[in-house]
Amino acid sequence: MSNTAIAIDKLTFNYGKLRVIDDLSLEIMVGTSFGLLGPNGSGKTTLIRLLVGLLKPAVGSIRCLGEAPSPANAGSRGYMPQLPALYTELSVEQNIDFFARIYGLRNKKQRKQRVDEVIKLVDLWDKRKTPVMKLSGGMKQRVSLGCAIVHQPPLIFLDEPTVGLDPDVRVNFWEYFQSLTQSGSTIIVSSHTMDDAAHCQKLVFLRQGKIIALGTPQELRLATGRADTNLEDAFLYFIRRSEKEKNAE
Amino acid sequence: MLSNTLSIANRIINQLIRDLRTIGLLVIAPLLIASIVGVSIPQKSMLDYTAPAMLAMLIMFFGFLLTGISFQRERSQGTLERLMASPVSRLDIVGGYLLGFLLFALLQVLIIFFYMVYVLDVGFQGELWQIIVFEIIIGIGSVCLGTFASTFARNEFQITQFIPIIVLPQMFLCGLLWPVEQMPNYLQWIAKFLPLTYGVDGMRALMQQGESLLGIGKEIGVLAAYAVGLLILASLTLRRGTSG
Repeated sequence: MSNTAIAIDKLTFNYGKLRVIDDLSLEIMVGTSFGLLGPNGSGKTTLIRLLVGLLKPAVGSIRCLGEAPSPANAGSRGYMPQLPALYTELSVEQNIDFFARIYGLRNKKQRKQRVDEVIKLVDLWDKRKTPVMKLSGGMKQRVSLGCAIVHQPPLIFLDEPTVGLDPDVRVNFWEYFQSLTQSGSTIIVSSHTMDDAAHCQKLVFLRQGKIIALGTPQELRLATGRADTNLEDAFLYFIRRSEKEKNAE
Repeated sequence: MLSNTLSIANRIINQLIRDLRTIGLLVIAPLLIASIVGVSIPQKSMLDYTAPAMLAMLIMFFGFLLTGISFQRERSQGTLERLMASPVSRLDIVGGYLLGFLLFALLQVLIIFFYMVYVLDVGFQGELWQIIVFEIIIGIGSVCLGTFASTFARNEFQITQFIPIIVLPQMFLCGLLWPVEQMPNYLQWIAKFLPLTYGVDGMRALMQQGESLLGIGKEIGVLAAYAVGLLILASLTLRRGTSG
């Protein structure tokens, strides 16, 4: 069995005349926590939407676990969009149960067991009967994560999952993401904060739909030539380098 | 897959049940309109003539409004995108909406029907189950129309802006207020293309003339064709895999 979770080959995508993803190729291995880092408008969300099948490439190809993303294989993916995207009148339990049902957990008893497990995991057991509209922003993010992982998918796409979270919850999220990758799941996280970047096993820095750097956080820091560099400085270093290369062409 | 359709319908029912204010409005608003019509039309024969048309109009209006707003919310809150990334099909989504909202529309029809018959003393000849079946057919079209219209609205407020474009012309031209035959020729011609015209004709035939469903085959056929056409259009507007 191939060890490649995601293979992207020469991917290009345009919104009208605007090129959002530009000739991007990338391979992500199974069991990795992979970070898509970049400023707003760098193409992170578009790339995730392409990977979950919401958008189709104009040019190039995407393979998720060996197949092009389609509704038929959507069960192998979990998707947490940037907006919480929840049914606000429904309770925490009803939201997670609904997504469990549409992702194929048909057996009522097993589904209840899994939904309870996920509610405990996102630490909302006391709020399980509370309508989502009455929850804080951070709690809604946790419900949204629960909806994305309830069917235990091998591929999990998380678009800015830690936005609006308290630092302690953010740490809990990352501990959980790491436990998922240890159990063989592959996690693709988009973020624009370097704090998230530091938790990823591997990263790409994106700018204007192109990869400007790829490697482990340590590799990216070392590539700047300074051992004490943080990821934020490393990102700025790669931006300047890509601009220089562009000007030289 | 039918189970996904049922899951979506179940979710919609749960959402509405939890929204008591909307449930209240769903019951009170049609009763209020029916009362105004009942009180403002003193002649019983005139009321008997108007009531079936009101029943057809109300299910179309509320079906359209409720579905249009709910679907728009689904789009703006991002839940539709989340659904489109899941294994559910476009038909599951529209089918789920149909089932979920039809249940409430049906409840609404029964309340208005019994209110009109037993409180406002509106006479009727047909069989109740046939009237309900025909109302369901009108309701299916209105749910699909609401889903389709939501594609063109950026927010819930814009959905209400469709009322003067989609609902009001049908109300004026369907024969609710005065017979279509007495309208100028060009308006009669336009009325032939409006689904509510067939809804009103069918309801009058069922309730006033005691016709059976078989006797209003043309009206059922036209409404069913509208419903199927709108169902296809509504499904097509739920795009997955937009290329660019």
